[in-house]
Amino acid sequence: MKWLIFAGKNILRNRRRSLITILITAVGSAGILIGGGFALFTYESLREMAARDSGHLIVAHKNFFTIDEDTPMQYGLDNVAEMKKRLEQDAGVRMALPRVQFSGLISNGDKSSVFVGMGVDPGGEFYTKGPALTIVSGATLSSAPKVDAPAEILLGTELARQMKATPGSVLTLLSTTTAGSLNALDVTVRGTVTVGVPDVDKRLVYVDIATAQRLLLTDKVSTLSVYLKDTNQTDMMRSQVSTLFPRQSVQTWRDQAYYYTAVRSLYNRIFGLLGIVIVVMVAFAISNTLAMAVVERTREIGTLRALGTLPRQIVRVFALEGIILGGVGSLCGMLASLAITFVFLLADFQMPPPPGRSVGYPLQINFSPLLYLLTTLALVLLSVAAAWFVSRKMAAKPIVEALTHV
Amino acid sequence: MSADATTPDAALLRLSDVTKTYRMGEETVPALREVSLTMQPGEFTALMGPSGSGKSTMLNICGLIDHPDSGKVELEGDNIGLLAEQALTLVRREKIGFIFQGFNLVPVMTTFENVEYPLFLSGIPAQERRRRVSDILAKVGLAELERRRPDELSGGQRQRVAIARALVKAPKLIIADEPTANLDSATSSQIVGVMHELGRMIGTTFLIATHDPRLTLLCDRVITMNDGVLQ
Repeated sequence: MKWLIFAGKNILRNRRRSLITILITAVGSAGILIGGGFALFTYESLREMAARDSGHLIVAHKNFFTIDEDTPMQYGLDNVAEMKKRLEQDAGVRMALPRVQFSGLISNGDKSSVFVGMGVDPGGEFYTKGPALTIVSGATLSSAPKVDAPAEILLGTELARQMKATPGSVLTLLSTTTAGSLNALDVTVRGTVTVGVPDVDKRLVYVDIATAQRLLLTDKVSTLSVYLKDTNQTDMMRSQVSTLFPRQSVQTWRDQAYYYTAVRSLYNRIFGLLGIVIVVMVAFAISNTLAMAVVERTREIGTLRALGTLPRQIVRVFALEGIILGGVGSLCGMLASLAITFVFLLADFQMPPPPGRSVGYPLQINFSPLLYLLTTLALVLLSVAAAWFVSRKMAAKPIVEALTHV
Repeated sequence: MSADATTPDAALLRLSDVTKTYRMGEETVPALREVSLTMQPGEFTALMGPSGSGKSTMLNICGLIDHPDSGKVELEGDNIGLLAEQALTLVRREKIGFIFQGFNLVPVMTTFENVEYPLFLSGIPAQERRRRVSDILAKVGLAELERRRPDELSGGQRQRVAIARALVKAPKLIIADEPTANLDSATSSQIVGVMHELGRMIGTTFLIATHDPRLTLLCDRVITMNDGVLQ
């Protein structure tokens, strides 16, 4: 305790210099916490979007993910109702949604365009999509379409623009059946949607599963998407589902989240580099302050050594000074970061759309106790290392030389 | 050359043929030339000589903060040359006190803390430290000023703090380097009186480098150095 008090008094010798060092450390700490918090928010948002899009787990035929199909639904799933029932009996599963993936041509009679279609269970699908899918006009597909009612579709906004379609328009879907022949189906546009990615909106078609199966002449589905109650249970549930359906293949949302993986990898490098630059900057600031203190106190160090202070005790005092500078600076940075996080939470700032997307996203900063702890620890340890580095030689300097230092 | 006292077996400090040379660029400057000295417990010794005569080097070696090039230094019969740096530090901590010409107090510490520091280093419990520091501060007349920092004290008061710091652990030996050089004559007389009185009371051996004749009058022995040799 005495050493700590002594170190504290030493910090107060040159208040302005110490204050500037603490401010630099605080700015550095806040920079790391805000940048890191923003990256964590982005990861979390992208993770949720990816999981909402594909489902936490995707169950498919064992060849579905590895071998291209010769004909549509060659590697489709049979008896999906039974699988869905068994999956939804698990307490960790929110719902299991079958999907039919298909593609073909869409026509308004005057012109045609390529589409990428998805046959879905409307009741669950649009509930799980949440903010990842926005209805631009019209309404979502009916959960329980009438038997004799004309087939309905949702169109991506860009595709609707190409087809000059609005809700109520009648279009024709043309696709290859499971037998390899062509089949066409007249459909009514129920609404237009966007997923925020223009390239996807240019090809996107949603129909209910029955319509998709009617078009492809099949009773199979492509995949069964499993939505969990807790994303963190993904890996554990994957093992369980793989055990439950040993003849099927199971992937996680991560396996299909190429955008998430790419952004995470990019942000890790950007924010990692930024963090290193900030840490080096703080290290220099603290080293500089302590180095000046060491030189200014050379005679005093000589006196303390003459009185019987061991070199390691001298280094300890400087290390404690480093801990105080780094610790107080980190604490101030934490408070600043918390305040900014809170302001961003209330202010609803928006980020511009990322490359390849048409909608922005909220600028928010996640509060991560682990990030706060690691940042503080890193800065404090760095301060100690800087103190050790600048004081170790002086502490071991011959006492006579130190006492005669001018 | 030597300046031996009687009863060598009881000697506190013994220097035998100590030589110390400094290198200044290409040139070597002898600071001590085969100096021998024996000091008895409780002895009050003044070390005089012109600037550059080797007084400071002599004090540094006697205070165990410098090493001779050759010769032997013994403190209470122990050959100091055989001790590692850490052991030397511990010997200084327990057995030697220093009074510097420039006081060398720690500016961020109060009077009390400056005097307490050597006791803290020795691991003396807080209560015992308080008792001993209060006692020595009362003896040097600074009991009322224990919460002041050095910059709030006069030169004489600072030197009294330095004396209290040197004496508080009742060391065997005190090395004082011109302790009155920075003080006016009235204050010097007070300081000399305090050192002498407390030194006698505690039984500490003093080796004092000085040019102050009033100080030499109170010493048991006055030795003079010239060109690194004891006269």
